[in-house]
Amino acid sequence: MRMKLYARRRLRNGIFVALSIAAAAFGIGWLALILGTLVIEGASGMSTTLFTLPTMPPGSSGGVSNAIFGSVVMSAIAVAVGTPVGILAGTWLAEYGRHARFAVFVRFVNDILLSAPSILVGLFIYELFVVHMGHFSAIAGAAALAVIVIPVVVRTTENMLLLVPNTLREAAAALGTPRNFVIRTVTWRAARAGIITGVLLAIARISGETAPLLFTAFGNQFPSSDLNAPIASLPVVIFQFANSAYDDWHRLAWAAALLITFAVLSLSILARIFESKRISQ
Amino acid sequence: MAYVVATMNQTHSCSAAVLKRFGRNEAIFRWFAFGAACLVLLVFAGIIAALCNGAWLALSTFGFGFLTSTAWNPVTGKFGALPAIYGTLMTSALAMIIAVPVGIGTAIFLTDLCPRPLRRPVGIAIELLAGIPSIIYGIWGLFVFAPFFQQSVEPRIINAFGDVPLLTNLFAGPPYGIGIFTASLILSIMVLPFISAVARDVFETVPPMLKEAAYGLGCTRWEVTWNVVLPFARTGVVGGSMLALGRALGETMAVTFVIGNAHAIPSSLFAPGTTISATIANEFTEAVGDLYVSSLIAIGLILFVITFLVLAAAQLMLRRLEARAGGRNQ
Amino acid sequence: MTEKTPADLAKRIDIRDLSFYYGEHRALKDVTVPLYERQVTAFIGPSGCGKSTLLRVLNRIYELYPNQRATGQVIFDGDNVLEGNNDVNLLRAKIGMVFQKPTPFPMTIYDNIAYGIKLFERLPKSELDGRVENALKRAALWNEVKDKLRQSGLSLSGGQQQRLCIARSVATRPEVILLDEPCSALDPISTAKIEELIDELANEYTIVIVTHNMQQASRVSDFTAFMFLGELVEFGTTEKMFTSPTVKRTEEYITGRFG
Repeated sequence: MRMKLYARRRLRNGIFVALSIAAAAFGIGWLALILGTLVIEGASGMSTTLFTLPTMPPGSSGGVSNAIFGSVVMSAIAVAVGTPVGILAGTWLAEYGRHARFAVFVRFVNDILLSAPSILVGLFIYELFVVHMGHFSAIAGAAALAVIVIPVVVRTTENMLLLVPNTLREAAAALGTPRNFVIRTVTWRAARAGIITGVLLAIARISGETAPLLFTAFGNQFPSSDLNAPIASLPVVIFQFANSAYDDWHRLAWAAALLITFAVLSLSILARIFESKRISQ
Repeated sequence: MAYVVATMNQTHSCSAAVLKRFGRNEAIFRWFAFGAACLVLLVFAGIIAALCNGAWLALSTFGFGFLTSTAWNPVTGKFGALPAIYGTLMTSALAMIIAVPVGIGTAIFLTDLCPRPLRRPVGIAIELLAGIPSIIYGIWGLFVFAPFFQQSVEPRIINAFGDVPLLTNLFAGPPYGIGIFTASLILSIMVLPFISAVARDVFETVPPMLKEAAYGLGCTRWEVTWNVVLPFARTGVVGGSMLALGRALGETMAVTFVIGNAHAIPSSLFAPGTTISATIANEFTEAVGDLYVSSLIAIGLILFVITFLVLAAAQLMLRRLEARAGGRNQ
Repeated sequence: MTEKTPADLAKRIDIRDLSFYYGEHRALKDVTVPLYERQVTAFIGPSGCGKSTLLRVLNRIYELYPNQRATGQVIFDGDNVLEGNNDVNLLRAKIGMVFQKPTPFPMTIYDNIAYGIKLFERLPKSELDGRVENALKRAALWNEVKDKLRQSGLSLSGGQQQRLCIARSVATRPEVILLDEPCSALDPISTAKIEELIDELANEYTIVIVTHNMQQASRVSDFTAFMFLGELVEFGTTEKMFTSPTVKRTEEYITGRFG
């Protein structure tokens, strides 16, 4: 009887082990498949003209230079605006607000914003910017991306600041340092690597965001550096080209997708390197 | 105050001015930081306000019927949210049904079964997968998965279920390739790494001594996992899964390409449908007429309410977990 | 340690009826004790007796945290430190503190020392260099770091880091230096170096040291205060406290009956 019971337990264990391995293989298998397809299809569309020529009508060979430009410009503005706001808000939460009810509320709202559907952010900026300005614009697109950057930076900044040991703050205060100076010269410096990691992750996140740009920056088939006008971006170009019926546009969509993935993965890996530097400190 | 300044003056200069500067800088910095925190709240309030403002026309025109109507006709000006809501809920639910067990299984594999040298690279690979933008999943789904599904998988399933009494309509043809089921599968692949990462983090917080005690009694791996690890990690995994659900509900690009964009509630999972975010993404820039635009924003508002409820519940669950963990450590 | 009677000495800090509360819990009960000028006063007692709490009242570092308050009088230069109208930053420049764990700032050694100076004074570089050198010499660290002032403070060993923290406190030209178990995280050799240092520093500064190591207290201090459960049990010259304490509980603690 005992042996029969044990044999059954062993069988159950075996099934469980097999299922777990199958699950992991399933998950990683799709990753390999998707990335593999991306590399193969994207590579065939790679060429220098991808970077030098702007988007052209199907039939004439074009590139995505205007989209790359638009993405870079809007991301840069979004990070420039969102990072200080995020760091300051995260600092307030970690250093001043702490456990106060208001701080708890802000944290709660921030975490909701962190996972909120980005298309709704697009609708918000549409009402705020596009309706009032009367047209789509790169500024509106950048604003939508900034709204996505802020919660990410707030969360990582607060987490990193909370990791700074209190004795460091006390040591600075014991010299007669006012609180804001302690934060600016000691605490921020101690948390610097972690905060930078957070910013890198925020950049990686907005690099691939499509929905919030669809009706803020809209898109522009011509190269443009006018911030007050619609502007192209890589994700939106992919969206438009993939949905079309033209093969050369499809190829460009794959190549652009490869570009974005490469950028996102590089940023993520860079963030990891920073993270490990922080831990080794 | 005078005594301190007097003694300071022996060894330090301009102390009174220094103190004034300290006080002013402290106030300025604190207000800026507080202002930034308030800005977060303002953005949130702004989103709600913008959605309510834009949705007002549609909601006041259609009333509660908006939620139950399946109409969607820009020409006659009749709009209803039900197909979009159904699509959103259905694709997310199906995606979670697949992703949660597989994600937990993957996490178990990572923390327990995976050979040690492979653990870090596989873990990193999964985390990187979680960062791939959804539009990549979208075009992959459109160009690779959907055609494959249409040619190889769907016909077989449709035939297999052809004679099964209750389920035959659920898996009925024609094999479009795109549709609710395909979208759900793509969504589940997208959500999978997130659930794995969260589950793995939670599993790693299980005190090793707890597991060792169970192993010491002669429990098999499965028994330790089922009886010790999972109950311990339950709140964290549920909270993380709800977070994943919140993201799945709002997901646009992974779904838009393969959902089929039909405003209908099909009986077959293989038929095209739509989700709230897919509808907005596809139709907003071409919507003409205030009522049309307002209807689109209205379904956006509904999406906001749904995701807010899910995310808030996830937050509360995870906070309770943190509080408990903090208490346990004392 | 020179033998002095309290009658000859001035009180640098006069603590009277000091009580301290963590929320509702009373951690210090009407403590009255003098801290004499240019003497080393040690506070000893079992864990939780309130000695660190008392130290942290003197420079009001407890104010960084909510729900902590002190009542009573801490007279420093004729004024009660606990009364709100004194600027706490200036107070802390005059009463320096060294903590249990060495806490170098994430900056160069030079910047660590210059940090406190630059807060209150605008000095030309040459003068600043001189002040930094001076502080490091007083902390017996100058010779070991004079060639690597531009290296990170974190690159030093534990004992060196603690001396760096002492130098940092000394740089602001305080009058009182508070030491909260400064050697508990260090090895015996570093501990011995720091005890030597305390002896020298006592020539210029009033030192208050909290320690759970009785032998250390007997080695370095001129006066000792024994605390138990938030109360001051006995205070006197170190020699008297360790050879013929008056209160029975003091004797029991010193002879190791409990701890």
